[in-house]
Amino acid sequence: MSAAEDQAAVEKVLAGDTSAFEGLVRRWQGPLVNLAYRFCRERSRAEEMAQEVFLRAYRSLAGWRRESAFSTWLFALATNLYCSELRRIPLRTVALDDLAEPPDPRPPDGGLEDQSRDRAVRRAVYALPPKYREVLLLFYFHEMDVPSAARSLGLPEGTVKARLSRGRELLRSKLANAHMGRLVRKEIL
Amino acid sequence: MTQDDLDRILSNEPQILASSGFVDAVMDSVRRQATVPPPIPFPWKRALPGISAVAFTLAVLVIFLIRGSANQSLPPNLVPTLTSLLETWKTFSATWVVLALLLSFASLKLSMRLAGGKT
Repeated sequence: MSAAEDQAAVEKVLAGDTSAFEGLVRRWQGPLVNLAYRFCRERSRAEEMAQEVFLRAYRSLAGWRRESAFSTWLFALATNLYCSELRRIPLRTVALDDLAEPPDPRPPDGGLEDQSRDRAVRRAVYALPPKYREVLLLFYFHEMDVPSAARSLGLPEGTVKARLSRGRELLRSKLANAHMGRLVRKEIL
Repeated sequence: MTQDDLDRILSNEPQILASSGFVDAVMDSVRRQATVPPPIPFPWKRALPGISAVAFTLAVLVIFLIRGSANQSLPPNLVPTLTSLLETWKTFSATWVVLALLLSFASLKLSMRLAGGKT
Protein backbone atom coordinates (compact mmCIF):
# COMPACT_ATOMS: atom_id res chain seq x y z
CA MET A 1 0.00 0.00 0.00
CA SER A 2 1.47 3.37 -0.99
CA ALA A 3 0.94 6.82 0.47
CA ALA A 4 -1.75 7.44 -2.16
CA GLU A 5 -3.52 4.26 -1.12
CA ASP A 6 -3.29 5.35 2.52
CA GLN A 7 -4.96 8.60 1.56
CA ALA A 8 -7.67 6.81 -0.43
CA ALA A 9 -8.38 4.55 2.57
CA VAL A 10 -8.61 7.58 4.84
CA GLU A 11 -11.08 9.26 2.47
CA LYS A 12 -13.24 6.13 2.49
CA VAL A 13 -13.22 5.98 6.29
CA LEU A 14 -14.14 9.66 6.50
CA ALA A 15 -16.98 9.01 4.07
CA GLY A 16 -18.36 6.42 6.51
CA ASP A 17 -16.75 3.16 5.35
CA THR A 18 -15.30 1.94 8.66
CA SER A 19 -14.02 -1.31 7.14
CA ALA A 20 -11.56 0.64 4.98
CA PHE A 21 -9.63 1.34 8.17
CA GLU A 22 -8.62 -2.34 8.27
CA GLY A 23 -6.21 -1.82 5.38
CA LEU A 24 -4.44 0.91 7.32
CA VAL A 25 -4.24 -1.30 10.41
CA ARG A 26 -2.80 -4.18 8.39
CA ARG A 27 -0.19 -1.96 6.80
CA TRP A 28 0.97 -0.14 9.92
CA GLN A 29 0.51 -2.75 12.65
CA GLY A 30 4.09 -4.03 12.32
CA PRO A 31 5.88 -0.67 12.61
CA LEU A 32 3.58 0.58 15.38
CA VAL A 33 3.85 -2.57 17.49
CA ASN A 34 7.63 -2.65 17.03
CA LEU A 35 8.00 1.00 17.94
CA ALA A 36 5.86 0.43 21.05
CA TYR A 37 7.99 -2.59 21.91
CA ARG A 38 11.12 -0.48 21.80
CA PHE A 39 9.54 1.83 24.33
CA CYS A 40 8.14 -0.72 26.77
CA ARG A 41 9.93 -4.07 26.08
CA GLU A 42 6.71 -6.00 26.75
CA ARG A 43 4.88 -7.60 23.87
CA SER A 44 1.38 -7.46 25.37
CA ARG A 45 1.77 -3.88 26.51
CA ALA A 46 3.20 -2.96 23.10
CA GLU A 47 0.09 -4.35 21.39
CA GLU A 48 -2.20 -2.50 23.80
CA MET A 49 -0.36 0.76 23.15
CA ALA A 50 -0.45 0.24 19.37
CA GLN A 51 -4.17 -0.55 19.55
CA GLU A 52 -4.77 2.69 21.42
CA VAL A 53 -2.86 4.56 18.70
CA PHE A 54 -5.08 3.10 15.99
CA LEU A 55 -8.17 4.00 17.97
CA ARG A 56 -7.00 7.57 18.47
CA ALA A 57 -6.05 7.77 14.80
CA TYR A 58 -9.56 6.66 13.88
CA ARG A 59 -11.14 9.21 16.20
CA SER A 60 -9.02 12.10 14.96
CA LEU A 61 -8.69 11.09 11.31
CA ALA A 62 -10.45 14.26 10.20
CA GLY A 63 -7.66 16.23 11.90
CA TRP A 64 -4.97 14.85 9.56
CA ARG A 65 -3.88 17.71 7.34
CA ARG A 66 -2.65 16.43 4.02
CA GLU A 67 0.54 18.54 4.18
CA SER A 68 2.46 15.51 5.44
CA ALA A 69 2.17 11.80 4.69
CA PHE A 70 -0.35 9.76 6.63
CA SER A 71 2.52 7.71 8.10
CA THR A 72 4.22 10.87 9.43
CA TRP A 73 1.01 11.90 11.16
CA LEU A 74 0.47 8.37 12.50
CA PHE A 75 4.03 8.09 13.87
CA ALA A 76 3.75 11.48 15.54
CA LEU A 77 0.51 10.36 17.17
CA ALA A 78 2.12 7.07 18.24
CA THR A 79 5.26 8.72 19.59
CA ASN A 80 3.20 11.21 21.58
CA LEU A 81 1.17 8.41 23.13
CA TYR A 82 4.13 6.08 23.77
CA CYS A 83 6.18 8.82 25.43
CA SER A 84 3.34 9.91 27.70
CA GLU A 85 2.38 6.31 28.44
CA LEU A 86 5.93 5.46 29.46
CA ARG A 87 6.20 8.54 31.62
CA ARG A 88 2.84 7.65 33.22
CA ILE A 89 3.70 3.99 33.87
CA PRO A 90 7.49 3.53 33.67
CA LEU A 91 9.21 0.32 32.65
CA ARG A 92 9.04 -2.44 35.20
CA THR A 93 12.08 -2.26 37.44
CA VAL A 94 13.20 -5.86 36.79
CA ALA A 95 16.48 -6.26 34.92
CA LEU A 96 16.02 -6.29 31.19
CA ASP A 97 17.86 -9.61 31.07
CA ASP A 98 14.85 -11.12 32.81
CA LEU A 99 12.36 -9.87 30.25
CA ALA A 100 11.38 -12.09 27.37
CA GLU A 101 13.34 -10.98 24.31
CA PRO A 102 12.41 -11.93 20.76
CA PRO A 103 14.66 -14.65 19.30
CA ASP A 104 18.08 -13.34 18.33
CA PRO A 105 18.85 -14.05 14.67
CA ARG A 106 22.56 -14.64 15.36
CA PRO A 107 23.91 -18.20 15.73
CA PRO A 108 23.95 -19.37 19.37
CA ASP A 109 27.63 -20.42 19.33
CA GLY A 110 30.11 -17.68 20.06
CA GLY A 111 27.42 -15.01 20.29
CA LEU A 112 26.83 -15.12 24.04
CA GLU A 113 29.23 -12.32 24.83
CA ASP A 114 27.75 -10.21 22.04
CA GLN A 115 24.24 -10.82 23.29
CA SER A 116 25.21 -9.89 26.82
CA ARG A 117 26.88 -6.70 25.59
CA ASP A 118 23.87 -5.81 23.43
CA ARG A 119 21.56 -6.24 26.41
CA ALA A 120 23.82 -4.04 28.52
CA VAL A 121 23.66 -1.32 25.86
CA ARG A 122 19.86 -1.50 25.68
CA ARG A 123 19.62 -1.43 29.46
CA ALA A 124 21.78 1.67 29.48
CA VAL A 125 19.43 3.34 26.96
CA TYR A 126 16.47 2.78 29.29
CA ALA A 127 18.42 4.28 32.18
CA LEU A 128 18.80 7.58 30.29
CA PRO A 129 16.59 10.58 31.11
CA PRO A 130 13.37 10.38 29.02
CA LYS A 131 14.21 13.24 26.63
CA TYR A 132 17.44 11.53 25.51
CA ARG A 133 16.00 8.02 25.59
CA GLU A 134 13.06 9.02 23.37
CA VAL A 135 15.30 10.66 20.80
CA LEU A 136 17.64 7.66 20.69
CA LEU A 137 14.76 5.18 20.34
CA LEU A 138 13.17 7.17 17.51
CA PHE A 139 16.46 7.82 15.73
CA TYR A 140 17.34 4.13 15.53
CA PHE A 141 13.75 3.12 14.78
CA HIS A 142 13.80 5.45 11.76
CA GLU A 143 17.08 3.89 10.59
CA MET A 144 19.22 6.78 11.80
CA ASP A 145 17.22 9.40 9.94
CA VAL A 146 17.21 12.64 11.95
CA PRO A 147 14.40 14.41 9.99
CA SER A 148 12.04 11.43 10.44
CA ALA A 149 12.81 11.23 14.16
CA ALA A 150 12.27 14.97 14.48
CA ARG A 151 8.90 14.79 12.70
CA SER A 152 7.75 11.92 14.92
CA LEU A 153 8.76 13.78 18.04
CA GLY A 154 7.44 17.12 16.83
CA LEU A 155 10.80 18.75 17.58
CA PRO A 156 13.16 20.86 15.45
CA GLU A 157 15.96 18.86 13.82
CA GLY A 158 18.58 20.90 15.67
CA THR A 159 17.08 19.91 19.03
CA VAL A 160 17.02 16.26 18.01
CA LYS A 161 20.67 16.41 16.90
CA ALA A 162 21.70 18.06 20.17
CA ARG A 163 19.80 15.54 22.29
CA LEU A 164 21.15 12.70 20.20
CA SER A 165 24.70 13.83 20.73
CA ARG A 166 24.21 14.32 24.47
CA GLY A 167 22.32 11.03 24.76
CA ARG A 168 25.11 9.09 23.06
CA GLU A 169 27.66 10.79 25.27
CA LEU A 170 25.71 9.80 28.40
CA LEU A 171 25.28 6.29 27.06
CA ARG A 172 29.01 5.84 26.45
CA SER A 173 29.80 7.20 29.89
CA LYS A 174 27.28 4.86 31.56
CA LEU A 175 28.71 1.89 29.68
CA ALA A 176 32.28 2.86 30.53
CA ASN A 177 31.34 3.16 34.23
CA ALA A 178 29.65 -0.24 34.14
CA HIS A 179 32.73 -1.74 32.48
CA MET A 180 35.04 -0.22 35.10
CA GLY A 181 32.78 -1.53 37.84
CA ARG A 182 33.04 -5.05 36.45
CA LEU A 183 36.84 -4.84 36.25
CA VAL A 184 37.07 -3.64 39.86
CA ARG A 185 34.76 -6.44 41.03
CA LYS A 186 36.89 -9.02 39.17
CA GLU A 187 40.07 -7.65 40.79
CA ILE A 188 38.55 -7.79 44.29
CA LEU A 189 37.50 -11.41 43.75
CA MET B 1 32.89 0.97 22.80
CA THR B 2 32.92 3.06 19.65
CA GLN B 3 30.08 5.05 18.11
CA ASP B 4 29.88 2.50 15.29
CA ASP B 5 29.42 -0.30 17.81
CA LEU B 6 26.58 1.59 19.47
CA ASP B 7 24.95 2.35 16.12
CA ARG B 8 25.22 -1.26 15.04
CA ILE B 9 23.75 -2.64 18.28
CA LEU B 10 20.90 -0.18 18.51
CA SER B 11 20.04 -0.47 14.82
CA ASN B 12 19.80 -4.26 15.01
CA GLU B 13 16.82 -4.47 17.32
CA PRO B 14 15.03 -7.79 16.84
CA GLN B 15 11.64 -7.38 15.17
CA ILE B 16 8.44 -8.72 16.72
CA LEU B 17 5.24 -9.64 14.90
CA ALA B 18 1.83 -8.52 16.06
CA SER B 19 -0.26 -11.44 17.29
CA SER B 20 -2.71 -12.99 14.84
CA GLY B 21 -5.79 -11.49 16.49
CA PHE B 22 -4.39 -7.97 16.62
CA VAL B 23 -6.14 -6.60 13.53
CA ASP B 24 -9.48 -8.09 14.63
CA ALA B 25 -9.09 -6.63 18.12
CA VAL B 26 -8.35 -3.18 16.69
CA MET B 27 -11.23 -3.33 14.23
CA ASP B 28 -13.63 -4.44 16.99
CA SER B 29 -12.63 -1.37 19.02
CA VAL B 30 -12.97 0.83 15.94
CA ARG B 31 -16.44 -0.51 15.14
CA ARG B 32 -17.52 0.02 18.74
CA GLN B 33 -16.16 3.55 18.51
CA ALA B 34 -18.03 4.12 15.24
CA THR B 35 -21.37 3.31 16.88
CA VAL B 36 -20.84 5.82 19.70
CA PRO B 37 -22.60 9.11 18.85
CA PRO B 38 -20.28 12.12 18.58
CA PRO B 39 -20.00 14.29 21.70
CA ILE B 40 -22.45 17.20 21.93
CA PRO B 41 -20.53 20.44 21.52
CA PHE B 42 -20.92 23.11 24.20
CA PRO B 43 -23.49 25.70 23.01
CA TRP B 44 -21.12 28.68 23.04
CA LYS B 45 -23.42 30.84 20.92
CA ARG B 46 -26.30 30.48 23.36
CA ALA B 47 -24.15 30.82 26.45
CA LEU B 48 -22.15 33.82 25.26
CA PRO B 49 -24.74 36.56 26.07
CA GLY B 50 -25.18 35.18 29.58
CA ILE B 51 -21.45 34.85 30.15
CA SER B 52 -20.88 38.40 28.86
CA ALA B 53 -23.63 39.81 31.12
CA VAL B 54 -22.19 38.06 34.16
CA ALA B 55 -18.66 39.22 33.34
CA PHE B 56 -19.88 42.80 32.88
CA THR B 57 -21.80 42.76 36.16
CA LEU B 58 -18.84 41.33 38.00
CA ALA B 59 -16.55 43.96 36.52
CA VAL B 60 -18.95 46.76 37.60
CA LEU B 61 -19.19 45.33 41.11
CA VAL B 62 -15.42 45.02 41.42
CA ILE B 63 -15.01 48.64 40.33
CA PHE B 64 -17.60 49.79 42.91
CA LEU B 65 -15.99 47.74 45.64
CA ILE B 66 -12.55 49.16 44.87
CA ARG B 67 -13.92 52.67 44.89
CA GLY B 68 -15.82 52.01 48.12
CA SER B 69 -12.73 50.62 49.85
CA ALA B 70 -10.80 53.70 48.83
CA ASN B 71 -13.41 55.77 50.77
CA GLN B 72 -14.40 57.66 47.72
CA SER B 73 -17.95 58.87 47.64
CA LEU B 74 -19.96 57.44 44.81
CA PRO B 75 -21.63 59.80 42.38
CA PRO B 76 -25.26 60.24 43.53
CA ASN B 77 -26.77 58.91 40.30
CA LEU B 78 -24.80 55.65 40.60
CA VAL B 79 -26.21 54.69 44.01
CA PRO B 80 -29.68 53.74 42.70
CA THR B 81 -28.07 51.92 39.77
CA LEU B 82 -25.90 49.92 42.13
CA THR B 83 -28.89 49.18 44.39
CA SER B 84 -30.98 47.97 41.47
CA LEU B 85 -28.08 45.84 40.21
CA LEU B 86 -27.75 44.22 43.61
CA GLU B 87 -31.51 43.65 43.74
CA THR B 88 -31.44 42.00 40.32
CA TRP B 89 -28.48 39.94 41.41
CA LYS B 90 -30.43 38.73 44.46
CA THR B 91 -33.68 38.16 42.55
CA PHE B 92 -32.09 35.88 39.99
CA SER B 93 -29.74 34.17 42.48
CA ALA B 94 -26.91 35.26 40.23
CA THR B 95 -24.26 33.84 42.56
CA TRP B 96 -25.57 30.37 41.89
CA VAL B 97 -25.80 31.05 38.17
CA VAL B 98 -22.17 32.17 38.10
CA LEU B 99 -21.08 29.20 40.19
CA ALA B 100 -23.01 26.80 37.93
CA LEU B 101 -21.47 28.34 34.82
CA LEU B 102 -17.97 28.08 36.26
CA LEU B 103 -18.60 24.49 37.29
CA SER B 104 -19.97 23.61 33.84
CA PHE B 105 -16.96 25.18 32.17
CA ALA B 106 -14.53 23.32 34.44
CA SER B 107 -16.26 19.96 33.90
CA LEU B 108 -16.39 20.54 30.14
CA LYS B 109 -12.66 21.27 30.01
CA LEU B 110 -11.91 18.23 32.17
CA SER B 111 -14.03 15.86 30.08
CA MET B 112 -12.50 17.18 26.83
CA ARG B 113 -9.05 16.65 28.27
CA LEU B 114 -9.87 13.12 29.44
CA ALA B 115 -11.56 12.14 26.19
CA GLY B 116 -9.06 13.60 23.76
CA GLY B 117 -5.74 13.51 25.57
CA LYS B 118 -3.25 15.65 23.71
CA THR B 119 -4.69 14.94 20.30
